[in-house]
Amino acid sequence: MSAIGAKPAAGAEVNTTASIIGLILTLIIIGALYVITKDISMTMALIGVIIGGVLVGFCVHFMPVGGAPAAMGQAPGIATGVAMLAAGAGLAGLFGGAWAAELGMMVAIVAGAVGGGLMMAITCLMVSVIYVFGMGIPAASGKSKIDPLTGDTQVEFKSQGTEGHGLPFISYVGGVIGGLLGGAGGTLVYIELLYLYEKELPALLQAPMPEDVKIVAVSLAGIFAVGIFLVSSVLAAYNITGTTEGPADPKFKRFPRDIVASLLASAICGIFAILIVAL
Amino acid sequence: MENIVFGIGITAMAGALASVAGAAENVESDIGSQGDPNSQVQLAPQMGYIHRIFNKAIAGEPPAYGAWCAIGAGLAMGFIALQVNPILALILGCAITAFVQGVYATTAYLGRIASLAKFGQPVYIDILKSMTTVTMAHAFVAIFTTVSLCYLMNAALGHPFPLPLLGIVWGIALGAAGSATGNPFYGKERQYQNQKFGAGVPVAASGNIVRYAEAGQRNSLDNGWFSAKLGGPASGVCFGLIVFLELWRTVLFEPVGHGWGAIIVGVLLILVFTIIDRYIEVWARKTYGPYAKPAEVKT
Repeated sequence: MSAIGAKPAAGAEVNTTASIIGLILTLIIIGALYVITKDISMTMALIGVIIGGVLVGFCVHFMPVGGAPAAMGQAPGIATGVAMLAAGAGLAGLFGGAWAAELGMMVAIVAGAVGGGLMMAITCLMVSVIYVFGMGIPAASGKSKIDPLTGDTQVEFKSQGTEGHGLPFISYVGGVIGGLLGGAGGTLVYIELLYLYEKELPALLQAPMPEDVKIVAVSLAGIFAVGIFLVSSVLAAYNITGTTEGPADPKFKRFPRDIVASLLASAICGIFAILIVAL
Repeated sequence: MENIVFGIGITAMAGALASVAGAAENVESDIGSQGDPNSQVQLAPQMGYIHRIFNKAIAGEPPAYGAWCAIGAGLAMGFIALQVNPILALILGCAITAFVQGVYATTAYLGRIASLAKFGQPVYIDILKSMTTVTMAHAFVAIFTTVSLCYLMNAALGHPFPLPLLGIVWGIALGAAGSATGNPFYGKERQYQNQKFGAGVPVAASGNIVRYAEAGQRNSLDNGWFSAKLGGPASGVCFGLIVFLELWRTVLFEPVGHGWGAIIVGVLLILVFTIIDRYIEVWARKTYGPYAKPAEVKT
């Protein structure tokens, strides 16, 4: 069948068989790690990494991203790539979470979440400022007739020949929630790997003082957290296919598919990240 | 007390550096059409509109700046390890990275424009010569300021991440903030300057970008001048606020409540920005009004 003759793909439906296979593979990877290492703390670290990766994938679905059409005021959302915006917010959150790592896991994760949320709040505000004061365009959703949060009607504020423009309030809130989830997810991955590396690396590298290997642990955990973040966010971007207005967009309902994909991808990335200190 | 004053001073300096970085990044990307509006620069010749606009969009701004800032930070860290003065090391690392960006810009322009040969779009050598150096200069400013603020975070404020990792993190955040804020201003207000102000570009007008300037054909230096009026400064404010407020709340309030002070301040800031956003949205709806009466709208 040619590409032209093919039916439109990427609907909201979940492929049950593929999802079950994905879940089983994830469980097999977790089990394999326990069989190889016989260490419950490493298995728990992998589960933490997986939860973090899933949070990252879920966060991307909240991001209001209009891509190229948004840059011409042809579609609502932020004029950039969905994975890139999530990465920008999530990594800004990771920065804050890593700083608070010494204060305990809970404080670090919440600090990471707030860092990501703050980055998105500022970015979304500046997008509104540019649209309203730089381009003279009010916000209008292309997918919803009424903003579910404010009750504002949208259709009459769409200019002719466009799918809407700007950032309606629901999209702004979606962006902030996405930043919160992304910051928390990225920080969770980082913290789980950092605690594990700080415990295992001194013996592995035969360093007399644990402080000597701290920079190695921080660097490894940081780069793996960035990598797993990018894997999960790009997977989610493929699930969204193009632009989205955030939680009010029909594409938001596709997130269960991404949860399964992020589970498996995070498990594969996580087992490699853990085995470098286990073997 | 001295530590707090020192921390606030470093925070203010990092915020100022971030503001310059955001502005330079947006102007650089608009000169090179690296943001989402590159789609129109690429589409125009296919619709019969031959142009002299530079196009180096073979990577999004966030990954490109993540790579460049990481390279600059890595080189600077290497020079510092060789006992070079840190300020000189930062300058050297970022200057070398600017040449990496120059190689990227050259190959990207040649690749993207050569792919349009079948539509009659020429590769202008004078454009390549004059634009590439300008984007390199802007990229140097953006990379140097970003790597410098990363150095301040690491050396002065004690962030645990090593310099190259901070370069990746803040390079990606810089690209995300700059492209989100600056792209619509370049894409709508500059490329489609012939369309009505106060409305989006109709889909039917896609590809018909403005190609003529006050005198002669428009090129990307004209676009850089235009972006520097609002898109660039707004991107600078955006990235400056992100860096400043992130550091400010951490430096000042993290000692309060075992870390929860900074978190509470962060949540309050998010609420304040949310209220401002809602106010702006309502103001625009009241001031500009709807494009059509509700009864006329086809639902």
